[in-house]
Amino acid sequence: MPLTYALLVLAAPASGHASLTAARFARALLARGHSLQRVFFLDDGTLTGLASAVAPQDEQAPLQQWVSLAEAQQTELVLCISSALKRGLLDSAEASRHERPAATVHPAFELGGLGLLVESAQTADRLVTFG
Amino acid sequence: MLLHTVSRSPAHSALRDCLAVLGPDDAILLLGDGVYAAIAGGEGAALLAGSGATLFVLEADAALAGVQERLLLPGATVVDDDGFVALTERYGRQLAWY
Amino acid sequence: MTAPAAAGRKSILVASRHAHPGSSLPRSALDTALAAAAFDQPVTLLFLGEGVLQLLPGQDSGAAGVRNLRKVLDSLPLYEIETVYADAAAAAAFGLPRDALPPQIEWLDAAGMQALLDRHDHVLGF
Repeated sequence: MPLTYALLVLAAPASGHASLTAARFARALLARGHSLQRVFFLDDGTLTGLASAVAPQDEQAPLQQWVSLAEAQQTELVLCISSALKRGLLDSAEASRHERPAATVHPAFELGGLGLLVESAQTADRLVTFG
Repeated sequence: MLLHTVSRSPAHSALRDCLAVLGPDDAILLLGDGVYAAIAGGEGAALLAGSGATLFVLEADAALAGVQERLLLPGATVVDDDGFVALTERYGRQLAWY
Repeated sequence: MTAPAAAGRKSILVASRHAHPGSSLPRSALDTALAAAAFDQPVTLLFLGEGVLQLLPGQDSGAAGVRNLRKVLDSLPLYEIETVYADAAAAAAFGLPRDALPPQIEWLDAAGMQALLDRHDHVLGF
């Protein structure tokens, strides 16, 4: 029976490889026929959305893994807005609002409130956390 | 039924904190640095064996860490990513320790 | 006690086990609990392991320039989170003066924490 999943990612993309594991888990659950409602990035997890991250040649870039997933599956990738702002992750609207020189978030990600995580807790069949 | 995922090495408090609240029908999946607790003969393995927990180890992370299957404590079941998802199907709730 | 679960609503347990200010996770845990409460969802807070250190009263953040976590915790009843649960053994291990800690903390042993985990639909580990 197909289930609806939501993922909560708290780990920074460059710390350990929880972010890569989460992306692999996302692909694996889709391969098993389940659906992925959204991935909610909170706390240091919001750093995943930094558009300018450059991974070394011999490493997989978490950013690229998540972007590919979003492009292939239209997966909703949400950065918790309060965590994101604090870490310098701004989209164009926030960059304007806070008079910062540029948007720093990759377009595959959107900024959103914790209400979306709460909604996932209520509506998804499975909520899996990666810290 | 809870699936506890532990991703810090046994030197951290994550494993002990987890074992303190482990329920009789729960399972533990070791991933990230957590796989080091599955090395037979180590203190982490002793804690795990003593807890009687149903134990899984994420294959990709064990390989990355160099924790080959022959090093694992008896009773640890290696799962791949598909197996990880299957565990979350079976165990309706998951709690991450890190 | 926490707000009674509305029919069909899934309950969330927020388990906070890192210390402040060394980690940003304590703040994110509280924000998550507050968001759940603000959206009228049943939510419970549990402080375990190192997380009990967040409960120390008299936190003075003035010189450090960081938000005072104690003040956020004190505001929980405004969101109808009347009781918080905490790990008694961890508090003892850290030498926390139980009588100096806020009265609305319900102290649990391991069995109590297991039971608390058991009766929530989701447990989020911070």
